[in-house]
Amino acid sequence: MQIETALLIGVLFACATYLILQNSFVKILFGFIVLSNAANLVLLSMSGAPDGREAPIAGQGAGPMVDPLPQALILTAIVIGFGVTAYLVVLLYRLFLDQKTTNAAELYADQDTSEHT
Amino acid sequence: MNLAIQPVLLPLLTAVALLFWGRPSPGRRAFTAISAGAQLVVAGFLIHLTYTQPPLVMPMGNWAAPYGIVVVADLLAAIMLGLSSFTALATILYGYCEASPRIEHPLRLPLVQFLVTGINLAFLTGDLFNLFVAFEVMLIASYALLTLEADNWDVKQAFPYLAINLVGSTLFLCGAGFAYRLFGTLNFADIALRARAMSDDPRVTALALLLLVVFGLKAGVFPLYCWLPNSYPILPAPVAGLYSGMLTKVGVYVLLRVLGTVLPHDLAGVHTLLAWLAGATMIFGVLGAISRNFIRGILSYHILSQIGFMVLAIGLFTPFAFAACIFYIIHHIIVKSSLFLVGGTAALLNRTDNLDRMGNLWRQTPLLGVLFLLQALSLAGLPPLSGFWGKYAILVVGLEQREFVLVGLAILASILTLFSMLKIWNAAFWGSSEECEVCVWDWRWLRMSRVVAGMVAVSLAIGLGAEGVFRVANRAAVQVLDQEAYARAVFSVTAKGTPAGP
Repeated sequence: MQIETALLIGVLFACATYLILQNSFVKILFGFIVLSNAANLVLLSMSGAPDGREAPIAGQGAGPMVDPLPQALILTAIVIGFGVTAYLVVLLYRLFLDQKTTNAAELYADQDTSEHT
Repeated sequence: MNLAIQPVLLPLLTAVALLFWGRPSPGRRAFTAISAGAQLVVAGFLIHLTYTQPPLVMPMGNWAAPYGIVVVADLLAAIMLGLSSFTALATILYGYCEASPRIEHPLRLPLVQFLVTGINLAFLTGDLFNLFVAFEVMLIASYALLTLEADNWDVKQAFPYLAINLVGSTLFLCGAGFAYRLFGTLNFADIALRARAMSDDPRVTALALLLLVVFGLKAGVFPLYCWLPNSYPILPAPVAGLYSGMLTKVGVYVLLRVLGTVLPHDLAGVHTLLAWLAGATMIFGVLGAISRNFIRGILSYHILSQIGFMVLAIGLFTPFAFAACIFYIIHHIIVKSSLFLVGGTAALLNRTDNLDRMGNLWRQTPLLGVLFLLQALSLAGLPPLSGFWGKYAILVVGLEQREFVLVGLAILASILTLFSMLKIWNAAFWGSSEECEVCVWDWRWLRMSRVVAGMVAVSLAIGLGAEGVFRVANRAAVQVLDQEAYARAVFSVTAKGTPAGP
């Protein structure tokens, strides 16, 4: 399981990097969502090999449990990631309303801050 | 109730109360100012306590370390809390002078308090994952403040800030995961004890490098600073004062904490890398400042250049270098945020902060000129102002360690700092052109200058009483580097018999 998870994380990070580097807002947004999921998977895989162990739910059987702490960390990270993603969606929507474009290259084409006052 | 959690609780409760208070009014403003003053008093009391005693530790929910989350207030954390409360109070008062309650955005004060909550939690936390949470609280508040009063052009600049911090948060999350796998714990004290036995494990170095990227990004260290110079100028002056003072310094503080208290001390390669990155940060930051032609842009680049000095001190990695870094942080936070406030006042008087269209300020408003000159020369490092002592100490350590190239870079950066400060001085204060009008009839500038004058007085006191401040910084540095004492303080607090969580 560990090798497969590691490969999946690698693929997810690669996809996220590719998507974030695109110009379209939607692709950038998807890139960040994939990125936060990849990070959550990293945390999950840090609880060790799950083979033959049970999910950490109280009151279940007496078998060995996987380490519950990374799962608690992921819960926190998911909540935070959700909030930040919501903010990102709103920011991108406002950029679209203001600038009438969903293309990052067009948006920053005239980037020269020294002219701004 | 335990005192260590107060600097987080007070701004949090204030922010929640402000959310329910409704429209901005003088009463709401007075309440915020009183709360900010109370935070400053609490922080001052914490500094007083931790100067003589071991760190104050509070186990959250009465779960003893290493199983529960602990909040640890040692002398360095207390100093940083004092600085954040002081800057918050000064910028809030400055904001009051700048605009009447009628046109104040109702969300600005609550968001500032949420921001302070996150910053203070980052200073107090004794747990790597809790540090991530603190960063997120701080960042989410900072995203919101950045876009709260932004116009169409400004909002555009907020996106790179958001994007690069999202990547940084993701990397931090991975770093926390790796640390947990490597050490089996996320508690700072516990990691410190366990990591010492495995300091020649390459995985520890890899983790240190990953954390270096994350915190370097927050602090604005050389290759990772591109988000800062374009995003800070879009903020309204009082908020920019708070951001420029505190946000990047949280990154520097965490570097001090993680490299000094948490990770083993013999990661010489990481420290050398950090020192050279700092050298590059100093030079590129100050060159960026020279290239800009508006006050806020110049000052934003100077933050980076100064970050270079602090990080250089961390990279040199001796107790005295740490003391120099702490002294530099104390000096820099006050000087930098007051310079942003002076810039805001100058922009109000000239109705622009483009240097081509500014001028006549010295003749019409000499008070503002004196304030600017004192802080600008302090930033450049002229004796006897506070910046000189910080730079002097860092250069002494650099010479002791025979890092002559880095010392040369630091001196070059200081000279160029002076040059770019004189650029502002020549254009905005001494320059006299017929077209630019100075709106001295705008009564707000006098009150705003008085707030800044208070900050300048504190800054002068630091410069003139440098020996006393250095003694405090020295003790804080020794405490940060003493991993055993830190661990002893954290583990001596057992759940039984300690005050319960709030």
